[in-house]
Amino acid sequence: MTDTTPKGFTIPIGPQHPALKEPGHFRFTVDGEIVTRAYVRLGYAHRGIEKAAEERNYIQDLYLLERVCGICSHIHALAYSLAVEQLANVQAPPRAQAIRVLVAELERIHSHFLWMGVSAHEAGFDTLFMYSWRDREQVMDILESLTGNRVNYSANLLGGVKFDVGREQAAQILLSLDYLEERARHYLNVLSKDAMFLQRTRGIGVMTRAQAEVMGAVGPTARASNVPRDLRVTAPYAAYPEFPVKMILDDRGDLEARFEVRMHELFESIRVIRRILNEMPETELVARMPRRIPVGEAVVRLEAPRGEVFYYIRGDGTDKPERLKVRTPTICNLNSVVRLVVGHQLADVPMILAGIDPCFSCNDRMVQVEQAHNGTERTMTWSELRQHGIDFYSRSSR
Amino acid sequence: MTSKRSLWQEVTEGLKTWARVNSPWVLHFNSGSCNGCDIEILATLTPRYDLERFGVKLQGSPRHADVLLCTGPVTRQARERLIRIYEQMHEPKFVVAIGSCALSGGAFQGCYNVMGGIDHVIPVNAYIPGCPPRPEAIIDGVVKLLGSLLPARQPQAIVETELEKAGVG
Amino acid sequence: MSRPRPERLDVKVKEIKQLLPIIVGLRVKRLGYLSAIVGVDLGVEANEIEVIYYFCPESAVIALRVRVPRQGATLASLSDVIPSAEVFERELREMFGIEITGLHTTDHLYLPDDWPDGVYPLRRDFDSAAIAGAGEKV
Repeated sequence: MTDTTPKGFTIPIGPQHPALKEPGHFRFTVDGEIVTRAYVRLGYAHRGIEKAAEERNYIQDLYLLERVCGICSHIHALAYSLAVEQLANVQAPPRAQAIRVLVAELERIHSHFLWMGVSAHEAGFDTLFMYSWRDREQVMDILESLTGNRVNYSANLLGGVKFDVGREQAAQILLSLDYLEERARHYLNVLSKDAMFLQRTRGIGVMTRAQAEVMGAVGPTARASNVPRDLRVTAPYAAYPEFPVKMILDDRGDLEARFEVRMHELFESIRVIRRILNEMPETELVARMPRRIPVGEAVVRLEAPRGEVFYYIRGDGTDKPERLKVRTPTICNLNSVVRLVVGHQLADVPMILAGIDPCFSCNDRMVQVEQAHNGTERTMTWSELRQHGIDFYSRSSR
Repeated sequence: MTSKRSLWQEVTEGLKTWARVNSPWVLHFNSGSCNGCDIEILATLTPRYDLERFGVKLQGSPRHADVLLCTGPVTRQARERLIRIYEQMHEPKFVVAIGSCALSGGAFQGCYNVMGGIDHVIPVNAYIPGCPPRPEAIIDGVVKLLGSLLPARQPQAIVETELEKAGVG
Repeated sequence: MSRPRPERLDVKVKEIKQLLPIIVGLRVKRLGYLSAIVGVDLGVEANEIEVIYYFCPESAVIALRVRVPRQGATLASLSDVIPSAEVFERELREMFGIEITGLHTTDHLYLPDDWPDGVYPLRRDFDSAAIAGAGEKV
């Protein structure tokens, strides 16, 4: 620990410095309890990655892009690797592609368990949060035993993967998958039958298929409104042609549907991982990349746990990419949330947001609520808004 | 902090320290991280790691917090909120920077929207490196910080490497 | 493109005013959804920015390419026809300095409120030193 006096830094003390305004993440205008307008301010996690990618070489960028998102690190690194391989006209060997899909599906499982816990927490079900995260540790163990790290597994190399899957590891993974499958069935059972939970999800946040398409929703959020968008099925990449998954669709379009789609996806992921472990192609792990990445453009679209990730890369023949564009799924789904909450109760907002599984930190978000008819304004933390939702529903269920 | 105090002041300070060390209230703030460190912090609260057995309680308001756990390289947009939170915390308060980004900007050092680490904005008491640090490392760092609050031990720079612990180097 | 890939279609839109009719045509034929809008600064010498609208029907990718001048460029917003375009266009505007007519807000999307005017991060001539206090202590 260093001493507490920073070098050359003056801590403002006394009354609030007038220049420091409170940047609100969310702003809702309400009429009584009903939301009439919603506004989301992004930018809190904007780090300037696309610019940074132009200033780093292709290899450094792999490590940079793993860190776009801590929850779906692998899918970003995979999208980047596939894009650069496309530029270089290189195909990673089949075993590498299978391992890439293995890790991608393990990531989907950890992400969905994580989301399950976070959503439960939003609804006040802290017990389910604790249980699901405890179970999630099984997936973290698997990822760590395969890759050496729990988060930021860094599985990809340009041209392939860094590690192999041994027979004992495969056996261990299969055992863990049995456990996880049983737990997932249990949670599905709880979530689809618990009256308190259903009160917060059934018929809430309904998005019709037409609305989902127009608002540009992707991933499980779209599939829960019967929009058949799943790139693993419609535009299979890596080893998905050899190890296909089934698209999970639901036509109810409400929060309950969004929850169930993700739960059923878990079973599909477990199934495909089992298949890969049993039928892993025997090839080498890395293909040779050219020394210079050629001039050209490449577009890659992958299915992250939250939906479509879009990568565009442009090479100019130097060792650094000329342009890299990363379009994440959450920006597409946020559009739908902002429109969906209008007409809903303020108490439903936390769950509607949880329903899209947003990829930004859930902890600190300031919420401004403005009463339309008298202009009074209230600022609350996200925890207070969450508590408002929990209290609202526990009152109305008595 | 070393001026002469009355017996009563000594006793109340001692009680406060004991309370702080034994059940610190902790606030978590993400200043623009990728969420990797944040999910490992949350993981410390879940059954396998169970930070709460050390008496640590995670809560939501700066006014009640003793310790601020901070992740992220501090984006320009998050900077004001971070300063605001720091100001709202009562003395004595402690800041823990968690993860490479919080230490130095990490992979995002030099990026246009990034300040480059928590101590570019507010004073930091403890640094926990990693990308992200494991839950065990986070717990280790927080416990070390709490240990240093005990009256007998002055805060000191604790930099242990695996080599030193093994008696090598 | 020297190496045409399967399932890729590149359309060079010669005149900006052709863009909206083409897109409406794609919508009517249900040819894909707008997946992304990508801006590329072709450089100070070339003095142009390329804007690529990506529509994706199933596994195919259709790229509608438009070139605008680096100074005084204006594009019409698609958001009345395609609401999801709004966020992509706001990003394009703040990163490249392309004026988008018909957008309902002037707020920044990703850039902070105190970002200086006229400074566009994804342009080639962006100078990070122009951002006062970037990486410096308060």
